[in-house]
Amino acid sequence: MHCALCFSLFLPLAGFLILMAFADRIPRLPTYIISCATVCLSFISFAAILIIYTYTGMLPHSDTLYTWIPIEQLHTDISLRIDPLSLLMALIVTGIGFLIHVYSIGYIEHEEDFARYFACLNFFIFAMLLLVLADNLLLLFVGWEGVGLASYLLIGYWYFRPAAARAATKAFVVNRIGDFGLLLGLLLAFHLFGTTHIATISEMASQQYDKGDTLLTIMTLLFFVGAIGKSAQLPLHVWLPDAMEGPTPVSALIHAATMVNAGVYLIVRLHPVFMMTPQTLQLVGVVGAATALYAALSAVGQTDLKRVLAYSTVSQLGLMFLACGSGAFYSAMFHLTTHAFVKALLFLSAGNVVHMMQGTTELNKMGGLSKNFPYTHWLFFIGVLALSGVPPLATFFSKDLILEQEYLAGFEVLFYIGLAASILTAFYLTRVYCLTFFGTAKLPPQILSQIKEAPRIMLLPVFILGTLAIIGGFLGFTFGKTPLLEGFLKEVGVTLAEKKLSSGFILTPETWYAVGGAFFGIITAGILYLRFADRLGAPLSILKHSFYVDQLYELIIVTPLKSLARLITNFFEMGIFDGCIRLVTANVNRTASLLITMQSGQIRSYAAWIVIGVVVLMIYLVF
Amino acid sequence: MNLSLLIFFSLGMFLIGIIGVLTKRNALVFFLSIELMLNASNLLFVIFSRQWGNQIGLAWVFFVLVVAAAEAAVGLAILINLFRTKQVVDIDQYNNLRG
Repeated sequence: MHCALCFSLFLPLAGFLILMAFADRIPRLPTYIISCATVCLSFISFAAILIIYTYTGMLPHSDTLYTWIPIEQLHTDISLRIDPLSLLMALIVTGIGFLIHVYSIGYIEHEEDFARYFACLNFFIFAMLLLVLADNLLLLFVGWEGVGLASYLLIGYWYFRPAAARAATKAFVVNRIGDFGLLLGLLLAFHLFGTTHIATISEMASQQYDKGDTLLTIMTLLFFVGAIGKSAQLPLHVWLPDAMEGPTPVSALIHAATMVNAGVYLIVRLHPVFMMTPQTLQLVGVVGAATALYAALSAVGQTDLKRVLAYSTVSQLGLMFLACGSGAFYSAMFHLTTHAFVKALLFLSAGNVVHMMQGTTELNKMGGLSKNFPYTHWLFFIGVLALSGVPPLATFFSKDLILEQEYLAGFEVLFYIGLAASILTAFYLTRVYCLTFFGTAKLPPQILSQIKEAPRIMLLPVFILGTLAIIGGFLGFTFGKTPLLEGFLKEVGVTLAEKKLSSGFILTPETWYAVGGAFFGIITAGILYLRFADRLGAPLSILKHSFYVDQLYELIIVTPLKSLARLITNFFEMGIFDGCIRLVTANVNRTASLLITMQSGQIRSYAAWIVIGVVVLMIYLVF
Repeated sequence: MNLSLLIFFSLGMFLIGIIGVLTKRNALVFFLSIELMLNASNLLFVIFSRQWGNQIGLAWVFFVLVVAAAEAAVGLAILINLFRTKQVVDIDQYNNLRG
């Protein structure tokens, strides 16, 4: 069992190293096989761990692979921890990761630089697994930075496009702010507890500290800053929509299904600590709700297919944080799982369209594509229905659970915000679906007729994800007496916060609100964009520019920083430092040009110098 | 004979040699001036050898003569080669090593 764990963690790393080392020498097919097989085997071994766990209740225990830092207090091991929570995440990462690897084979077929792509993808899987399986915060931080790096490399995969290079840098820089928060939180945790071991911290926090202890609150706030950065919550969400410059499978894998969930995972992983700090949890809930609503409104105004989905991801992540905020960590994890399926489905089916249209993502160039994409458009439709919250598709159950949770916990305002966000979700998804596949075609007929359905290798993973999007919600069901996912996660204390809520699915008035809202959103958008599409003008400017947050940051942060940088370059760098150096070189030059006159090349002048030297020497000796 | 007169004579020869080296541009005269300086020092050796009544100074004169002969051979060979490259004997023309 122990070996299985190492095996599944290090296989993707091995794939990455092989592909990186022999990047130019391996032809296409072996590259595909190495890359996909490593992730597939990793998934299989995690699945094997799950099966063994289900039947015997045994999990590979956290063993020390290697002592990383053998300093007394800071003793840090490379050790893995597998429990239901990390197993669930690992299964999502490797499972969806494998499907997207396979999908990428089709997506990347025209690229020359395919080895770099697959190597980065494998590296991402490794880093994400490290993040998920890490037993101590330091190792988690390594994984955390690793996924950030992989995200940077893959957003900038087409580095020769200025927009992609800029988006990659932006993602990296914005993430750095969050990572800094996480690092400070980690240091504070070490200061408070004298260890970075997650389980020990969780245990000590509840035993040694009072509820709402100031230092503990600061620590969780810092962790939350890290989570905000990675999961693109307000106010650090700006990088995610821009990250859509990367290849679409990357958007699906990293920026929708796995990496952006790391923030939620961090909070759920450390939930015993967060439970000790109610103020932080309140903030988590408020930030989540604000983000959910803000991103949903922004998504309505986007004119780019992928950016709609990106804002949708931000909004759904907001809902997960909302759930975390009220202590419903199970609902958050459930929503994380179903959202991963559905959002990967949406992105990949959008990717089919983007790929077959040679990289076009602007909605105003699409329209009337349903005949060209007979399968993709149905798959996309499943994704739309699922994410809108139409029963009995996957996200319905999880979103409903979150909303119900808020209502029962007495956070009525948050409930209505969440409800509004989910109605908007239904609206913008239907809008983007109609604008892409229906309505009048914007392309000339001869071009339109050449656009074909995506190849089979790209359709197959989407079919599987479509199936998961349909049946994924049943993970939250209770069969007999054992609730599936909830019973699974109960082992690590991730439960429903409200005792009143039983697991599984019960019809409550709030459910009717949610379902009614979803249908309301779908039907309104359907009518608006199918019948009156031509009469609707451009989206509201404020929504299109997502409330001018980017422009605001540009104005108050980026521009002053740039002028400061320019000042430093021109004044300090050029003036003072370069000035000093130039002074030295100028003096050396002047002295040299004085001395150079001695080297005239004239024998007679050399002789004269010798004579002068001798005379001086003699005068010195005599007197 | 007056010793100081002889020393001044030798010194005068040496100075003439130095001035010749410093002022003459013709390579042969330049060379001649060097020989003059060597012989001025030879004269000094002889004078002091006679003055102190030992033969070491005379022995040194032969050494200097031998070195001067060898130097003349090498120096003339260099001169001929110099002349071959530029067809002039003006040593100021040979300033290729200017810094």
